[in-house]
Amino acid sequence: MTETAADTTRMGGVVPTALEAAVTTTDHLRIGRAWLASGALLLVASLVAGLLVSVERMDLTGMAVFGDVDSLFRFWSAYRVGLVLLVVVPVFVGLATAVVPLQVGASSIVFPRAVALGFWVWALGAAFTVAGFVIDGGLGTPGAVSRTDAVALTLLGLLMVIGGICCATVCILTTIVAGRTAGMNLSRVPLFAWSVLVAGSIWLVTLPVLAANTVLIYVDLTGRSAVAFGVEDTIWGQLSWAFSHPQVYAFALPLVGIAGDIVPVAARRRHGNHRALLVLTALIGVLSFGAYAQAAFDIGTPIREQAIFVVEAFLIVPLVLLVLVGLVDVLRRGVGNRRTRMPAPLYLSVLSVLFLLNGTVLGALRAVAPLDLLDRSTTGAQFTFTIGAALLAAMAGTLWWGDLIVGRVVPQGFGLASALAVAVGIVLVAVPDTISGFMGLTDFTGGDLGGAGNPESGVDVLNTVALVGSAHLLVGALGWLVTGVLRLRGARSLADPWGGHTLEWSTSPVEVTSESPLLDATVEAGA
Amino acid sequence: MLTTGFKLWFGSCAAALSAAVFAGYTSGGTETGPISLGWKGGVGDHVTYVLFVTAAAAFGLLGIIAVAFRDADSESVAEVLGVDTAPPAQTQVGSSIWPVLGALGVATLVIGLVVSSALFVVGLLVLVAVSLEWTMNNWSERATGDPEVNRELRERLLRPIEIPILALVGIGVLVLAMSRVLLASSVNGAVLVAGVVGVCVFGAAFLFSRRPNISRRVVSTVLIVSCVAVLAAGIVAAATGEREFHQLGGGSGGDHVEVGE
Repeated sequence: MTETAADTTRMGGVVPTALEAAVTTTDHLRIGRAWLASGALLLVASLVAGLLVSVERMDLTGMAVFGDVDSLFRFWSAYRVGLVLLVVVPVFVGLATAVVPLQVGASSIVFPRAVALGFWVWALGAAFTVAGFVIDGGLGTPGAVSRTDAVALTLLGLLMVIGGICCATVCILTTIVAGRTAGMNLSRVPLFAWSVLVAGSIWLVTLPVLAANTVLIYVDLTGRSAVAFGVEDTIWGQLSWAFSHPQVYAFALPLVGIAGDIVPVAARRRHGNHRALLVLTALIGVLSFGAYAQAAFDIGTPIREQAIFVVEAFLIVPLVLLVLVGLVDVLRRGVGNRRTRMPAPLYLSVLSVLFLLNGTVLGALRAVAPLDLLDRSTTGAQFTFTIGAALLAAMAGTLWWGDLIVGRVVPQGFGLASALAVAVGIVLVAVPDTISGFMGLTDFTGGDLGGAGNPESGVDVLNTVALVGSAHLLVGALGWLVTGVLRLRGARSLADPWGGHTLEWSTSPVEVTSESPLLDATVEAGA
Repeated sequence: MLTTGFKLWFGSCAAALSAAVFAGYTSGGTETGPISLGWKGGVGDHVTYVLFVTAAAAFGLLGIIAVAFRDADSESVAEVLGVDTAPPAQTQVGSSIWPVLGALGVATLVIGLVVSSALFVVGLLVLVAVSLEWTMNNWSERATGDPEVNRELRERLLRPIEIPILALVGIGVLVLAMSRVLLASSVNGAVLVAGVVGVCVFGAAFLFSRRPNISRRVVSTVLIVSCVAVLAAGIVAAATGEREFHQLGGGSGGDHVEVGE
């Protein structure tokens, strides 16, 4: 849609080949598509790792699939790292790269070449990370079964991944802060752009900490004789804070914006209080700052038993609940305005907020010391609910803005079916893990009965249900991938398929003069 | 006028600072510690205090950015620029090869860290080259108001440097890759490979010269595929290692005849 003349013709007027156009593009829609496609492919790879781990958990008495604990741990950690840094965050970055400049009325993203650099660094880093996990590296214990050079490759790949994400995030945030069209002040920014501003700010202050952790481990790994920080053997222990409460909420936060933008347009009704949603999103973002919660560096009272950790865990629940209530209220008030069927992304986006709420409730329960859930499979359940919610919202976002990003339509039913398969998978994985956690099953079961906590309490049956859930997730992800391919072959899309009339659906930047731009045009049109 | 961005970010900054001071006093801070950022006394619980102060700093920074850009207020922007109406938010830039080359430079550097220091140095050199090119590109695009003049300016400055260096690097890499292939092959195999490659090069050159109207796409595809094939063969040959050499004559003078397996 916004393919630029600068992008289609190289200097000198020569039309570039498809390959040249792909590797040299600075068009935000093309780069956004590249992020989304890469994220979808890596989602399938991550879920295959998760499925293998679920198969292994079926029999806690031995190693049927992997042969040794280190290999099992490698795939277990690959699943979590992959879902966050190779799937959810990149997909949100891709959506934001494509949609946010249009939402805020900028004709392009700020620093488009830096965005391209961010994507390529991330993509190559993702390839190195995956290669590291596959060739006996990963985040296990170097020197045992894992190869030290392969572990080093994984760590360096992760550094590139973080660098790429941060580079792209800086450009997106700068677009929101400095690239807005005249008249659109921060209180008028659409919710998705706002949620990306908040989440991106948190990513920028926490991901460098994760990078610093990685550098520390790498230096210890390669310079053992000269430097010994003593962290080489506890790689996951140092990095795990980024994949659990509260940091994991920061990665999922843009889902609030996706739901916040879809619901009012689909329901033909404005938000009751747009500014309240902006504040709620910002508060959730602040509470999801998790770089301080590093159990590996505990001195004195463990950080996860300190007041700030517990208070943070409980405060975030009512905030997410308020967001959900606000969205449901818009739906309730707008239900009579729509004469046609509600669009698929609406259901998915609301469901994603509901799943996020489940994740925050589990996070609060984990913080209750007497329940002793911190290292139980409840941690995995919280991860599944939260990151699953983000995944569901990303699917809703691609269905909603896909016409805009690709310029072609796709059957909504197929996309909805794929996303529902993912939703069912999330429930089937997370609920059994929640119950198993209360029964004493550890987060990482390891390879023997003793390490698995209390396997005789009936968790075998629950692990079978979780395996079915993992299969559902994989099927849904494959469906999402197929949906993307179908869209590429679909008919040309309408300019404004949802009747949103918001800035991203218009072809050129528009000056905003209203205090509540969202749906203004709809209301004026009498819809 | 206080913009919404100003109120939001500096309000959050003040709230975070107040929370830090409150947390400091209620967790064992001294009388002056929490209000002097720990300069005159203890701040109480370090984690909580540092967290809130960091948040305040981040909010303050965002506030400064929001103020610096006047929070996209059209009247303010126009006033700063001295024009009647604010200009469009963003100008377009053209496509560029430097991002992907920069990423490849980083990737080479990373592989070099794991595999060999020589590759690390190559990665560094690529990054330096990309940085220079990118900087010059950006400079030339803003040199004058005429894109055509800007393009000529850049080409006049950089082409005399780029072409010889790229040619040298390209030739060097291809020669290195071919040498690895020849050293890994048997004696007769090396003769055969050299012969076949030579015939292919001359054949392709002859064909291109006979057909001057051949499309750019075909020429570039043939060249790229050939170069990638030679590079891949070179990497595989380097990984396989050289064939065994037998020193004949045994002297220290260096005269030797090699016999392949």
